[in-house]
Amino acid sequence: MFILLESARSAYQSIRAHGFRSILTTISITIGVAAVIALVSIMQGVSVYIEDQLSGLGANGILIQSFTSQSDRLQGRRNKLTVTDYELIARQVDGISSITPILVGTGVNQVQYQGETMAAQVLGSTFNYQNVSLDYINEGRFISDSDNQTRRRVAVIGEDVRLNLSMPDNPVGEFIQIGSEWLRIIGLMEIKGQIFGQSQDNNVIIPFNTMQSIVGNQVEPDVVIQLSVTDINLLDATIDRITFLLRNAHNLIPGDENDFLIQTSEQIAETINSILSVITIALGGVISISLLVGGIGIMNIMLVSVTERTREIGICKAIGAKRQQILLQFLFEAVFQCLLGGVIGLVIGYGLGAVVSVYIGIVEAIVPVWVALLAVSFSALIGIIFGMMPASKAAALDPIEALRFE
Amino acid sequence: METIRLVNLCKYYEMGQEEIRALDDINLSIQQNEYVAFMGSSGSGKSTMLNILGCLDRPTSGQYFLNSKDVSSMNADELAEIRNREIGFIFQSFNLLPKLSALANVMQPLIYSGVTLEQRKLRAEQALNQVGLADRLDHVPNQLSGGQRQRVAVARALVTKPSILLADEPTGNLDSRTTAEIMSLFDELHAEGHSIIIVTHEQDIAEHCQRVIRLEDGQIAADDSRQEAA
Repeated sequence: MFILLESARSAYQSIRAHGFRSILTTISITIGVAAVIALVSIMQGVSVYIEDQLSGLGANGILIQSFTSQSDRLQGRRNKLTVTDYELIARQVDGISSITPILVGTGVNQVQYQGETMAAQVLGSTFNYQNVSLDYINEGRFISDSDNQTRRRVAVIGEDVRLNLSMPDNPVGEFIQIGSEWLRIIGLMEIKGQIFGQSQDNNVIIPFNTMQSIVGNQVEPDVVIQLSVTDINLLDATIDRITFLLRNAHNLIPGDENDFLIQTSEQIAETINSILSVITIALGGVISISLLVGGIGIMNIMLVSVTERTREIGICKAIGAKRQQILLQFLFEAVFQCLLGGVIGLVIGYGLGAVVSVYIGIVEAIVPVWVALLAVSFSALIGIIFGMMPASKAAALDPIEALRFE
Repeated sequence: METIRLVNLCKYYEMGQEEIRALDDINLSIQQNEYVAFMGSSGSGKSTMLNILGCLDRPTSGQYFLNSKDVSSMNADELAEIRNREIGFIFQSFNLLPKLSALANVMQPLIYSGVTLEQRKLRAEQALNQVGLADRLDHVPNQLSGGQRQRVAVARALVTKPSILLADEPTGNLDSRTTAEIMSLFDELHAEGHSIIIVTHEQDIAEHCQRVIRLEDGQIAADDSRQEAA
């Protein structure tokens, strides 16, 4: 214990004596650790944010889309979910608390208001949309069932649409034009924010039947079906039931691939998180290399330092320093420098993570404590690994030779 | 009491094909509180003698007893401990640690003997006081004159209370006035009861000692004791 303490003290004095060089040596470690921390904090932030956003679908939520396999697509086929499918599910599946069809207007996205034009996401849906997507109204009212049944020319808009078209704070009662149709605004949605810099507030939601008539009735539209179940434990059973119904309705024989895709918010989150972890691992690999390079830098400087201080080492040995004492002093020097680099890197990494998070629009930058501890202990480990060789070299010096060294 | 006893001590070096006999069958005994000078021309074996007496080097054959302990068979770490506790080195070029203050330099050997910080400080201050440098504690070596540096080195050698002080040309880098100062310091230390061994080639320095041992070609050529000196 005494030896450890004294070696640490000597190491500290020596690092201070070579202040500038010590800082330069630690920079590589600093950069490596800063990169690790920034990466982790951003990735964590992104992942938390995605979970937040996906909770829009709700834990009980199910999203059904048509799915066309690559080979079918090459043959020019395009699978669809139809209104009939929607009605089938709505009628024949138990335990659904809300269900709505959503029709995304392909080719219908130009919105005009008093000479201003913008591209928006135009969706046709029903009253239930707000229940399944947990997306609520801020001003006015949402689309009602009677709006849908009578194909009223009404719309609910997102905040970005209001801003881009320079509408009044309360846009209820204003008229916008989509395609050749005039629609009266009946409501303004709550602000949802951005995901990956993509606004979630540039939606225009109109009654489903109104949307169908705008798109035209010649072509059967491809709808998305969103629903939520009454009990989360019924999720899997419900998915099985829907799969069975849709396969039957689409005349799929056993062995045929599903021509639709059923997703839950959990699955979507898993998919995105698995992509994120691949990115994290790849970047982590690059950063490990930078830490390795940093370690070699430390070793290099330590070797120079041992040579430079050969005479000092000789003096210490002549007045009674044992091998272990010399070894520990140099080892501590390497470890302290790496630790210093690690801690500075930690601080910079946190800062960097926070700045980038704000920039790409995710709010929270979270670094778990274990990551911070791991990064710092890893840099100490680098110090031990790359300090060992120079330190043993110093410890093994012959005192007579070392004293003769000029 | 006998401090040092050398029995048939030899040190050979391999120089290519040739074998150099730096020390050749030396038998010698040095008592406590002796004041000894080793003299000889370069190549006479006096540096080798100093290295072996100082436990920096091990003999090829023969035995070296320091306070009746056979140090010729000890390993590197045991020798380090002996150097730390039993031997006080004083070098021609002072060999102070350049980045440390006078006080820290004197405290350094006590680190290796496991003395606590407070005790180290106290004992180092006493030692510096003894060599007359009580007012230079915080100076680093290059803020001190040659004579002052050598005094720091003497204080560092004294601080562990060793059995012998080993000085290698202690005045070789000093002018005649400081040489006189340092030598009178050695005389005082001898009078206080320290055993002192000086390796030198200067007759004036050897004059201070009670006993002058001349080395030639690795052998003792003369061993004169003069009680009237010192």
